[in-house]
Amino acid sequence: MGRPRRYGRAVTRETTETLIIGAGPSGLAVAACLAQRGAPFTQVDAASAVGSSWRGHYDRLHLHTARAHSGLPGLPFPEHLPRYPSRDQVIAYLEAYAAHHGLQPRLGVTVRRARREADAWAVETDAGGFTARHLVVATGYNAVPRRPTFPGEASFPGRVLHSRDYRTGATFRGQRAVVVGNGNSGAEIALDLWEQGASAVTLVLGGPRYVVPREVAGVSAQQVSLAYARLPRRLADAIARRTTRLALGDLRPWGFREPEAGPITEVERHGRVALIDVGTIALIKQGRIATLPGLARFEGADVVSPDGRRVPADVVVLATGYQAGLAAFLDGADAVLDDRGYPRWHGAACPPLPGLFFAGFRNPATGALRESGLEAERIAAAIAGR
Amino acid sequence: MDLLRHWHPVCLSRELTHRPRRVWLGGVPYAVFRTDGVIGALPDACPHRGMRLSTGRVRGGQLVCPYHGWAFGPDGVGKAPGTPQMRPHTACLEAVERDGAIWMRRPGATGPFPAVGPGGFHPVSVTRHRAAAPLEATMDNFTEVEHTGAVHWMLGYAPEAAEAVQVEVTARPDAVRVYNRGPQRPLPAALRALIGLGPADDFIDDWTSYFSPVHTLFEQYWIEGGTEARRPATVRIGVVYTPVHDDVTDIYTFVHTNAEGSGPRALALRLMLRAFAEVEVRLDASLLGRLEEGRGGLEGRRLGRFDKALRLQRQRIERLYRGPA
Ligand SMILES: Cc1cc2nc3c(=O)[nH]c(=O)nc-3n(C[C@H](O)[C@H](O)[C@H](O)COP(=O)(O)OP(=O)(O)OC[C@H]3O[C@@H](n4cnc5c(N)ncnc54)[C@H](O)[C@@H]3O)c2cc1C
Ligand code: FES
Ligand SMILES: [Fe+2]
Repeated sequence: MGRPRRYGRAVTRETTETLIIGAGPSGLAVAACLAQRGAPFTQVDAASAVGSSWRGHYDRLHLHTARAHSGLPGLPFPEHLPRYPSRDQVIAYLEAYAAHHGLQPRLGVTVRRARREADAWAVETDAGGFTARHLVVATGYNAVPRRPTFPGEASFPGRVLHSRDYRTGATFRGQRAVVVGNGNSGAEIALDLWEQGASAVTLVLGGPRYVVPREVAGVSAQQVSLAYARLPRRLADAIARRTTRLALGDLRPWGFREPEAGPITEVERHGRVALIDVGTIALIKQGRIATLPGLARFEGADVVSPDGRRVPADVVVLATGYQAGLAAFLDGADAVLDDRGYPRWHGAACPPLPGLFFAGFRNPATGALRESGLEAERIAAAIAGR
Repeated sequence: MDLLRHWHPVCLSRELTHRPRRVWLGGVPYAVFRTDGVIGALPDACPHRGMRLSTGRVRGGQLVCPYHGWAFGPDGVGKAPGTPQMRPHTACLEAVERDGAIWMRRPGATGPFPAVGPGGFHPVSVTRHRAAAPLEATMDNFTEVEHTGAVHWMLGYAPEAAEAVQVEVTARPDAVRVYNRGPQRPLPAALRALIGLGPADDFIDDWTSYFSPVHTLFEQYWIEGGTEARRPATVRIGVVYTPVHDDVTDIYTFVHTNAEGSGPRALALRLMLRAFAEVEVRLDASLLGRLEEGRGGLEGRRLGRFDKALRLQRQRIERLYRGPA
């Protein structure tokens, strides 16, 4: 695919039909779908192995979507795995997926800049440049940690880390831990810290959010979402709100707030999926994990909530989410991103920038991996023309 | 010896109703009770004049002593109705309800919680069986497959195949892992079909023992003879050994499988597993009561190739479980 040409100083420039940036699940899925259609492409990833984001995740992590609905095109998860595969099993699956489809992404290649020229994409990497007719951006919606700073943080004597750098609660045995963020990572990290013997665990809840159990009577939250997707939104919202309350009871006594909009609208408008509980809520209700409504500032060795409650802490984990960071390398990104920095087009051509495709920037309640697979099929069909 | 620094299951969730319950750990009785979704655990002797609190009742978030009506919350803080200015209190334990059992340890202890929960698998059953044997001897039974041919119906390897069973032991400072592989013992064809096995499959029993608290996590699966392909069915079992008294051990068994769905086959498989776990563990528990020697010690015993892990486990029980923190 494309013959490398050498310029003055060992800088190479290659021409390729399609360049895929990223060899996480989304990029691998697009590559597999192109390969299956016999369409030529080149794939690069900054990391030294495929599925790098999963290699960085904490040890306790399992998929919260069932493996039967999380496989990528052309290869399901092995049947002997549990319903919710572990982090290690997901990594092994991604490796097997690349091998199965004969994918050989060029690893250790970071894209610095991509811009639309005349009728092609010019992409600069730290290992030479590419000219490509199609550019598939699959760099992940969680490429860059979102890390707020708090007043007083500089003089806090304990350790503050982003959830991206958290691997296991065993590191913090016997310590007083505070976890900031009521997303899936925050709730599970709080649980992990408690299980691994932190001497006190406090979860700092952010804004309003729905909470649902991973499954009820063997039916997963994802399966429920798949069913809702077929109903009118108003009806789905009404049912979802009712069942959500039934499943875990009223959580307001512990400081949880329910969003104004229904659960389905929450996802569609604000991209906020429900917190899928894997056991944290039971510990909160039994008084084993404490909650705070928010984090206003640090004071000495304490964290202080907006209503003035203080909690002493040795370690603070910021499970405050991620950003896509697309504007950092994509010229003209403004034309294709929304105000939160996510693409406005998914799995389809972006009219303002011809030849550009985004894969894996949606996180629907029906499962991000499943969605990546669907987008990959559409992108490959659009590029290969079949 | 300080058992309370580890989490221990002390009864099943379904054994603790709205009434308090007397449980034992390391020869000491405790009263456990439920109030407003919280689990309380107190020494089972009222600090007033020593009445068993477990014979009282729960009211207004407190456990009320049946003798003079003093009442204590899960935090051990109490009140004496006849002397309101008095603030009696009793020691309290940290208690939690998880994975279908009630667990307990000393407040502020930092022992990790054992990973006996579903971990991505589908829960099948949680049971408690009592063995009239010390903790070490009980664990021995669960971590050696030589006995399975003689003792069990379905689990493990047929006596005539025992010689062919592979035993690989790996010792880590905090864990002991054993990998067993051998021919699946003959099963009725209907049962084989239910699990999804062929006539010449190998049964793999791959387990790791940990020591805070003492427990073993088993992963059991099958490999098709000839092709080496792994069969879909996987069973995951967590076993926690709770020392009730010196010579009495409670066996908590947490069974999980990856057989999912609500179809008749998955349902039948889970029901079969539940029955199987109940029967097989009961056989072990009753057998253990017939051991001759007190602690089931290994000194002076003739040990075979299946017994290699037992010594390694005992060393770790002494150091990590019974030894100083
Ligand atoms: C904690 C957590 C749990 C999740 N659990 C689930 C779940 O249970 N079910 C589900 O369906 N989804 C889940 N998701 C969502 C989603 O499936 C995963 O985030 C998935 O990894 C997304 O795949 P991706 O390929 O889009 O992005 P990533 O996996 O992030 O891959 C992007 C790749 O792009 C590379 N890259 C980035 N920038 C550059 C650059 N400039 N140059 C070159 N390479 C670059 C990175 O090295 C990386 O390898 C979870 C996400 C998180 C964070
Ligand atoms: S003995 Fe319990 S109140 Fe007197
Ligand atoms: Fe046995």
